Parts: sequence; C-alpha cells; structure tokens
Amino acid sequence: MSFFGFDPTAQQHARPQQQQQQQRQQQQQQQQPLDFEETYKGYGDYEPEEEDFLNDETFGNNVELGNNFDFGHSQQQQQQQQPAAAVAAAHVTHRSYVAAAASGTSQQAHMDAAVDLRPMESLWNPNAAPAHAGQAAAGEQVEQQPRVLSMEEIERNQRQMQMHPPPLPPQGYPAVQGYPMPPGNFMPPPGQNYPMMAPPQQQQQFQQQMRPVFNQPNYMGYPGNAPPPHQQQPQQQQQQPQQQMVPPQMQMPPQQQMQQAPPHEQKIAPQVAVPQMARSSSSLSQSSNERENFKSHQRQSHQRQPRNREPLTPEEQKRLEVRHAKVEKILKHSGLMTPRDKDFITRYQLSQIVTEDPYNEDFYFQVYKIIQRGGVVGESNKGLIARAYLEHSGHRLGGRYKRADIALQRMQSQVEKAVTVAKERPLRKQEKEQSRENSNNEGSNSAGSSTTGQSNDNRDGVLGKISSSLNSKAPRRQLQIPTSNKTLLNSLLVNDEHATATKPTNPDALMEVTESLGNVELSQKARVRRRSSYAFTSVDQSSVLSRSGGRKFVLSLIETVYEEVLELEANLRSGKPIDNKNLWDALHINDELYEVCPFISMLSFDKGVKIMPRIFNFLEKDQKLKLLQTFFSELSHLNIIIISSYKTNPEPTEFQLKQIDVFQTVFLKIIVSFLSSSSNFIEIMGLLLHLIKNNNVSFISTSKIGLNLITVLISRAALIRQDTNRNNMLSSPEISTWNEIYDKLFTALESKLAAVFPPKEYIQKVNSVHLKGHATPSASPQHYDQAYIWQFLASLALSGKLNHQRIIIDEVRDQIFGTITEAEQLKENAKTPNESDDDLVYRREKLYQDLNLFLNVMGLVSRDGEISELK
Amino acid sequence: MLFFSFFKTLVDQEVVVQLKNDIELKGTLQSVDQFLNLKLDNISCTDEEKYPHLVSVRNIFIRGSTVRYVYLNKNMVDTNLLQDATRREAMSERK
Repeated sequence: MSFFGFDPTAQQHARPQQQQQQQRQQQQQQQQPLDFEETYKGYGDYEPEEEDFLNDETFGNNVELGNNFDFGHSQQQQQQQQPAAAVAAAHVTHRSYVAAAASGTSQQAHMDAAVDLRPMESLWNPNAAPAHAGQAAAGEQVEQQPRVLSMEEIERNQRQMQMHPPPLPPQGYPAVQGYPMPPGNFMPPPGQNYPMMAPPQQQQQFQQQMRPVFNQPNYMGYPGNAPPPHQQQPQQQQQQPQQQMVPPQMQMPPQQQMQQAPPHEQKIAPQVAVPQMARSSSSLSQSSNERENFKSHQRQSHQRQPRNREPLTPEEQKRLEVRHAKVEKILKHSGLMTPRDKDFITRYQLSQIVTEDPYNEDFYFQVYKIIQRGGVVGESNKGLIARAYLEHSGHRLGGRYKRADIALQRMQSQVEKAVTVAKERPLRKQEKEQSRENSNNEGSNSAGSSTTGQSNDNRDGVLGKISSSLNSKAPRRQLQIPTSNKTLLNSLLVNDEHATATKPTNPDALMEVTESLGNVELSQKARVRRRSSYAFTSVDQSSVLSRSGGRKFVLSLIETVYEEVLELEANLRSGKPIDNKNLWDALHINDELYEVCPFISMLSFDKGVKIMPRIFNFLEKDQKLKLLQTFFSELSHLNIIIISSYKTNPEPTEFQLKQIDVFQTVFLKIIVSFLSSSSNFIEIMGLLLHLIKNNNVSFISTSKIGLNLITVLISRAALIRQDTNRNNMLSSPEISTWNEIYDKLFTALESKLAAVFPPKEYIQKVNSVHLKGHATPSASPQHYDQAYIWQFLASLALSGKLNHQRIIIDEVRDQIFGTITEAEQLKENAKTPNESDDDLVYRREKLYQDLNLFLNVMGLVSRDGEISELK
Repeated sequence: MLFFSFFKTLVDQEVVVQLKNDIELKGTLQSVDQFLNLKLDNISCTDEEKYPHLVSVRNIFIRGSTVRYVYLNKNMVDTNLLQDATRREAMSERK
C-alpha cells in the first residue's frame, strides 16, 4: 500500500527519531498548554502530488462513481466486524468519498454536541497521556509497520485537533481508524494497529501513551456509551496468540476482565477509568461506535455484546449471524430521518388523501361503507385514515412502548394537520396564480415576483411532482371535452327543438277527439291542456322524446334531477335545511312548453325510473299529487305502456321485459304506497279522472303496466269506500262523482274487456323470451301469469253495480271457461306420468286461484271444472 | 378522487391485476393510494410457467402507472352508487 508513491521505509528511521525527541520534550513540558502548531505532523511537507496514479491502490480501484448515495452505514460496520482475513478480501469495496465526508460531518456535529466544558483532568495529571503523545504514537507506528495515512485521515486528525486540542490527539492513529474510510486503504492487516505487536523496546514508550485517560470528552456527553468499547473486542484480539503477545507491563487486568465477563463490564460507570490500552486495542470499532451511538444506543448492546461471548457453538454463531443480519438490515437506515422528518412526510402524504368533505370527494367509499354496515355510520373518516396509516407505518402496536393508543392519537393529530395542509392547498394555488398574473403584468419584474410565488409553495414537489393542475384529485383525462363546445351543444339542442317543432304531429285533430270524449264536466276543475296523450303517435319512442324536447334534452334533464337529488341528500346528511324548489323545477311537471311533458319522457329511461323513489323522498304531498296527475294524464305517452302492450309491441325483447319489471318494482310501488298512505278519496278520483279523460283507456288496458295502474286506482278507491261505509260516510256528492267517473271508465272499457287478455301468440312470445332468459325447461308456453288481469277484473267488478258485473262476465265468459278448461286439461295431464305432478298441480291451483279472485267478488267460486255459488 | 375512493372499497377483496407487461396477478388488495399504487397480498400469478420468478413472491407493491386492468367480481361494485359518485364528481368539478 502506498500513498502518492511515498516510500515509508526511507523515512522510517529519520522521522521516528525526530518524534521521539519531540516526545521527550513533551514529557518535560507536560504541564504547558498545547500549541496547535506543534500538533501538526508535517505530512504536508512532502513533494507536490504528482504520482496520484496510485490513487486506485489507495482508495480502491472500483469505487463506484454513481450517484447512488448509500444512506445506510451497514457496509462499514460489517467490515469492521469481519475477521481480519476477510478484511483483506474486502479491499475492493464501494465507498464513496461523499459518504465518508457525510459521516465525517456528522461526527463533527456529534463532537460539537459532546464538547464538555469541564477542564480535562488529564491536563493536570502528571500520569496522563502527554498532549503530544499522538505524534509519538504515530511515529512509533510508522516504525512498527509501514505507516500509511490517507489524506482523509490527516484531515480528520486535523479536525479533531481543532475540536479537542488537548485530549484527542493522543488517540492519533487509533482514533482515526474507526472512521468510515475506504477500507481498501484503511483496514490494516491483522495486528497492524495493535501495539502489542510492537517490538519490546518500543513497548516502553508505547505504554506511556497507554496510560489511563480519564473522562474522555466524547464520553462525557453520553454516559451510557462508555462501556461499549469493552464489548467490542475485535475478533483478532480474542485469538490466543495475540493475547500472549501482550506484554506484562500492559494493564492486563481490565482487559481480561472485559473478555471474561462482558456483562459485568457494562455496569462500569462512565467515570471509571478506561485504560487507554483498552481503548486503542478496541479502537477499530470504538470510534465508529462514537459515531453511531449518537443514533442508536441499543444497537451496540444488541448486536455486539454477543460477539464477546466465547466460545460459541456453530449453531449459536449461525443464529447470531442471522440475527445480526436482521438487526443490521433493520438498523441500516435507522435514524436517518428524525421523528420530525417522518411526521412531515406522513403529513404530506396524508394531505394528499384526506379531505375535509368526505361525502363530496370520497363519496363512493363513504356511502359504500355505510351501506355495507347496514346504514350505521361508523368511525369518522379521519379516524379511519389514521388507523389505516398506522397499520402501514408498522406502528400499529405502538412501537417500542406498546402504546397503541398513543400512536393512534399521534396519527390522528397528524391527520388533523394534514387536513389543514389540504385546506391550505387551494389557497396557495390561488396565491400562486395571482402572483403569476402579477408577474405577467409586471413583465420585467417577473423574475422577482415568481420567486416569491415559489417560496409560497416550495413544499409542492417535495415528495415528487405534485402539480396543481395534475394530481390525484384531477388526473389527466384521456378524453378532453373543451368547454367552449358548450355553446355548440346548446345550438344543437336548439336545432333539435326546431326539428321537433316542424314535425307534423297534427295535434288539432287529436284535440277534437279528446274534447269530445272529455265533455263530462265534473266538480273538479278540468285541466285544460293543450296536449293530449290520446294518440297512437306515441308508439314511436323517438317521436315522444322529440315532442318533449328531444332525447338529449330529456337525458340532460334526468342528470339535472340526479344532481338536485344528490344535493338534497347531501343536505339531509349534513342536517342543512332542504329546499326542493330546484328539484321541482328540474322535473318540469308544469312545463307546458312541450307537447309531451318532459317528466313522462324521463320515465322512458331506466335511470329516470330508478331515481323516482329518491325524488319522492323530497317532495311535498301536493307536489307528489301533481306529479301523479301529470303521470296519469299522459299515460299513453309513457314508453313503458307502449312496450308492455301486446298491441303496440307484440314481440317484446328480453330487455323490454326487464324494463317492465323495473318499472313495476320501482314506480308502481311508489304509487301504491302513496295511494295507500297519504291520499284521500277525492284525490284518487282526480287521478282516475286524469287517466280517463286524457287517455285511450282501452289501449292502456291492453298493456300490463297500464292495467296494473288502473287496478291500483280503482281497488284503492273501492277499499276507501268500503272503509268509510263503516266509519264515516262519504258525502253524497263524492259518491255521485265516483259513480260518474266509474261509468265513464266502464264506458271506455265496455265491449273491449276481452281485449285485456293478451293473445296466445303474445303469451308464447313472452314465455319464450323468459325461457331464454332463465333457461328453466319446466316453464311451458302456457305458463303466463294472468293474475294481474283477474285482479283488474275483480276490482272493476267490486266497484261496479250488478249490471256492470253482468256485462263483465258476459264479455270475459270465454276467458273464464277457457281458464277452467285449461286447468282441467292440466289435471288430465297430471294423470300421465310424463310431466312432473307438483308443477302441474301448482299451475292448476294457480289458475283457479286467479280466476276465483274475480269470481269471488260476485259470490261465485270455481272448483274442479264447475262454477258454484260461494258459500 | 373517484377511483381512489372506489378502490378503497376493494381493500381486503380478491382482485386480479393485469399489468401493462401482460403479467396477471391474483391477490388480496391490501391498500391503495392516491396514485392507485396497489399492494397485493398472497399473490399468485395466473401464468406461472411463463413467469416462474413470481412463484415465490407472496406480496407485491405495484406502481399504479403499470396497471392495465383490475378485474373485479361483479358483486364488489355498487353500480348505482358508482353512478351517483360519478355525478357528484362531475358536479364538484363544475363548481
């Protein structure tokens, strides 16, 4: 090994003598204060550095030049603990100067902190190591071995001397040794740095500097750290030969003591004299320890103490190694960041995901959790985030002190702070934009003001790019819809309306029919509408849509309604007052602008139907009534009526059947609940009147939904009538009005009652679609639930007088007997074993059950193919 | 925040993540962050013969930008709620 081509052997004799002389002088001047100049070893006196081609040899030839800064310190520690043999092999290690410098500065800082202003006892102690012993020691060592110091060592020495002129220089070479140095240069061959290897005549001198040094300044600041040097016996020292080489003059007892009983050693108080011998012999790990103990005390006791115990069985050794590796891995970067740093990072991360308004920005998650918990509002949003983060950070169990509650509290406070940061964000963004604008305005002054803007949000981007325009809250879109196109869209809509206006819908002719049909003036104020749904022009859905403002318009209306509902629901959650005016406006119930009420067109979309229950939550009773009046008035325009009628849609698709189902389960339910809970007799009559007056009742009755709706109305009216018969009588005008309305309804249906039964082809079609959908082989083409028809007939008969009932029976006589024959047919089939009995029996029962719904109203019952009087 | 909010509800559910390099990983979603980085636990690769190096991996952190698809079970999604959430998002943007 060589440094700048310096040949140590040439100087070997000259310099030591010089230094020995120096040392003698020092011994004489022991009491004198230390002169800084004298501590300089004169290494800079050499020739200018020319032969630095040997740097490779000095620093290792494959020092990595990349910028991957190794923040951990494990590498060196591992090497320090490696047996000497391995050290030789470790000459080729990657250690950058940057790292060395970094650790150097930390050392410096540490020393700053460690400086104790108490006077050093050693200064006045005649036996203490002489101030200049370091020079001597260094000289000796040069004598003992080819002495090589790197530039760094020198610098470090100098720095140390500056820091602690009197006491530290004696450490001289050994103290330097533990520094993070390029091991290639620094790790000496075994024994090189151990004085006991020195020839006997030098031991005398050496011993002088081995005198105990009291109260080492480095240790003063960290009382707990005094023991470690004892525990950190490098392995070489534990080897027998070296121990034998230790001369008797040397202070053996402490050394033996520490080797034999390391745990006991730990108890030694810091003030106890630490023999310099011990220090220097263990200095390899000691000074690195100095550096580390700043960060982790436990580390030493944990990972190094076991090394002293000997002998170790191979398994133990292996276990220790594994353990050591683990601890090393954990501790590699430990202490790199202070708790404050960590808090800052955590807060910044949190500020990106927390929000003050979780129901707005985190809507899906919040509501989903509530739905899953069954409507119970659980832990607060912030609490959840704090908990989640705690688990991520691995402090769920509270870390070292097992105080999980404290850890959670801490994290919660972090979340609180994060929310504040999140709150500040838009503010800062505004400021930034403002400053940007200012800078633009100022022109030449832009540089100055933009820097102030930057300083405002200099924390942006600390953890990667967090730009204001592109972040997780507003990610970049694949599809960009320029807002300027809005005007274009509007003009399109306008065009749409124009197109609809010019469409030849010929409302006048239809009007006449409506007027003539609705000539019965009733006590209720007849609604004069400019439009009527009494027409088959509604069969075409697109024409209906276009007459209510166009498809786009209707869809945008639905969205508006959704937004209003969401808004109201948010208000409901936060306890704010609810004002449904906007919602009501969005429904366009009273809108007379369009031929078909937009509200009716909304119901032709599934999402329009699905929102209805939520709308109803926010409507007043009279609003609901108004809505239903509109609904019944324009029933013929209702898309669902058209697709559920066998006349207009003889071949329903699976999708349409599903739509019918949705409508039935959603909207019909609302109507039924409204009628049964909050409506009175007059209101029901009004609704029925709206239905009869404005619609082709016989057409509506051909659709399942339409028939259901009529059934709901008249059966509810019948129920109220029966109810009031007992309790409080209906007034006679009410009854007469009802009779009139019923008559009108009956007239509309008379002679068309048989038409409520869908034809066989339709039934077959529906069944086949169902069959495809559900793939249930047992469903036969005959299996079509006609209960709704019999329910309708039953409620119609219930409200009618005897002559009405007679007409009904006359008209549907064929269907009654058809059903009976069908049932009996099933009975016949049941005797043959090729079909499953249960299914047939069930279907037969069902047929009779449905039929009897109607027959029972008239006091009849059908059983086993016969119709008899109900007893 | 819509997708972040959505993926948060999938935590502790089993999903299949297809990466842009065609690797498909099935695993339990452990966590997700605002960049839609995913943490999966108990992962298994659907094509272990092609990617044998993943056989011994138990959990994995996936950078969000490398994800192509996340396959979900149908019943993990409340589509109506998702529609509402989308509307809310659109509303808050317009403000």
